[in-house]
Amino acid sequence: MVTAWAHPLTSEPVQGGKPAGAGRKPRSLSGRLVVVAAVWSVLALAVAGFILVGLYQAASERAFDAQLDVYVKSILAEMVPDPAAGESAPVREPKGVGEPRFSLPLSGWYWTVAEAANGEKIRFASLSLVGDPLDVEPLGSAENRSSFGTGPGNEEVRVRQQRIGLGSAEFIITVAAETAGFRADVRDFANQVVLTLVVIGAGLVGAVFLQVRVGLRPLVRLRTSLGEVRRGEADEIDENLPVELAPLAVELNALIHSNREIVERSRTHVGNLAHGLKTPLSVISNEARTAAGPFADKVGEQAEIMSTQIQHHLERARMAAQRRVIGVSCEVEPILSRLTRAMSKIYRERDVELEGAMPDGLRFRGEQQDLEELAGNLLDNACKWANSRVVVHVRQLQHGEATRELFELAVEDDGPGLSQEERREAVKRGRRLDETVPGTGLGLSIVADLAGLYGGRLELDRAEIGGLRARLILPSV
Amino acid sequence: MRLLVVEDDADLNRQLVTALGEAGYAVDTAFDGEEGHFLGDTEPYDAVVLDLGLPKLDGLSVLETWRRDGRAMPVLILTARDRWSDKVAGIDAGADDYVAKPFHMEEVLARVRALVRRAAGHASNEITCGLVRLDLRAGRVTHDGNPVKLTSHEYRLLSYLLHHQGKVISRTELTEHLYEQDFDRDSNTVEVFVGRLRKKIGADMIETIRGLGYRLGAPVDE
Repeated sequence: MVTAWAHPLTSEPVQGGKPAGAGRKPRSLSGRLVVVAAVWSVLALAVAGFILVGLYQAASERAFDAQLDVYVKSILAEMVPDPAAGESAPVREPKGVGEPRFSLPLSGWYWTVAEAANGEKIRFASLSLVGDPLDVEPLGSAENRSSFGTGPGNEEVRVRQQRIGLGSAEFIITVAAETAGFRADVRDFANQVVLTLVVIGAGLVGAVFLQVRVGLRPLVRLRTSLGEVRRGEADEIDENLPVELAPLAVELNALIHSNREIVERSRTHVGNLAHGLKTPLSVISNEARTAAGPFADKVGEQAEIMSTQIQHHLERARMAAQRRVIGVSCEVEPILSRLTRAMSKIYRERDVELEGAMPDGLRFRGEQQDLEELAGNLLDNACKWANSRVVVHVRQLQHGEATRELFELAVEDDGPGLSQEERREAVKRGRRLDETVPGTGLGLSIVADLAGLYGGRLELDRAEIGGLRARLILPSV
Repeated sequence: MRLLVVEDDADLNRQLVTALGEAGYAVDTAFDGEEGHFLGDTEPYDAVVLDLGLPKLDGLSVLETWRRDGRAMPVLILTARDRWSDKVAGIDAGADDYVAKPFHMEEVLARVRALVRRAAGHASNEITCGLVRLDLRAGRVTHDGNPVKLTSHEYRLLSYLLHHQGKVISRTELTEHLYEQDFDRDSNTVEVFVGRLRKKIGADMIETIRGLGYRLGAPVDE
């Protein structure tokens, strides 16, 4: 039980999601979605690009072949013997074929006519070959063939071979043309395709990114809403969310409510217990004080110990019940004014002047009752011991002094104050439970414990106006 | 001085009544909120000791109703709920002081004494008038330095007159503040007590204002 409350409240939730480091798996949901979509788009677009370029190349080859076929046909037409010369007239040698490049030496455009029967011996060849052979695979028994080869100028050529029957003889007409123009054409097309696809891909990823951002916006809203509840700015989470998230919000709200209820109930129980025990204790100790004799003395003494113990344990039980409450906060200024008003009523005979300065709108992250308990004890002490003045200061602490938002509540008096030793003793936290002497009787150890539960602290030193200065550091919103 | 004690615990109630009676007050009691509220609303008490945890009607509501209806007598609340939030709530509801349970009877006596004295506008625990001096803490009266022996009724009468010295107090008012509620009142007895008091502290201290009542004051030398 001791350790249960002796630990300060440090369970600050992690602030926001840190951006995932380079090369690491993205931690965020939107990161995952964007990465998956990007990988898929790049793959799909790359495959589409390959297919497109392949199709274009095949179509270009077919068109090129068709063009070569035209030359094959015109060669054939020029070879047909003159019908006037009779049945057995020899084939003629083709001349112009309608393409000047066949006449230019090593122009890249070539043709040959070979005799199919005679081991494919060259019968005619274009002038551009300049007597060199055209290095092609024999056609063999095939009717025709398209292939790539190397021309005499060491250039790549497209080769079209066609078996032709002319009269009684069979010829193989071979036309070859350099592929440089055709290749450049395909390359240009491929470049354009890549450029287009890259643009489309970038657009897709951007669209996915937008979609994820817009699609996940309700999640951000849920987080903001939960944060507001935690800071006590809202009572419950906004349940106006998409159908997928609404049940989550409803459940969270139920959790928040049941949490509050449990705390409220345990507090009520503790209060009831207090009342139930304290009245009989008053009776016993008063009875013992009116009677005389050792028995009465013993009863009185023990009753005194009992009431100290009850006080102590009730205080601890109340504290243990507090820390699970989330989303509670209260404004500081009204509470202090209320306390100040009460103090001036209680101590109206003491002629003590209460003055103070506090910023508007400052909120304590915690239960109102606890702030009242903390400030009440300090003010009560100050009013009790002050000669004539009590000064209360409240200020927001700068961020540089802490990672969380904190504020300081300082209460000074011009009374006798405490020695250094007494000050150390007074704020000792987690006082042993079986201790019957309640410290200095100032209730400061309770204050220190309570402040500790909120992750704050109590500091005592000398006030500028002479007496004790008690400084409470507490979390604000 | 007449007080009301509202406390539901029979033993504690008895202890309070006994202790306050011994201190020289006429004490009425109530055991629940409704009865307490009725008495406080209808009888002129000089102070009320009010427990907050009462059956039927809780103490805070009783107090708030009194204040709303303009009942201004000083009220001391007894509460087991001793957090500052409870204390402040009590003060805000109109209480003048609080005592947390468990308490010592001396504490309650001291607070009640202070409340009654303060309500009458006296700052110190000693009230004097001429040669008569009343020590509230000890409940002792001296005349010219010599102790005066008084019965409890004589003490209440003198105490009330001293608290309100210089003012004319009617016989009815005196009766109302001298006796408990169920006491068999006879206004003649007030005259008897006044007569006895005059013998003990000097005949010229208490002046009879015909048809109005009595006035306590230091005799003016003529």
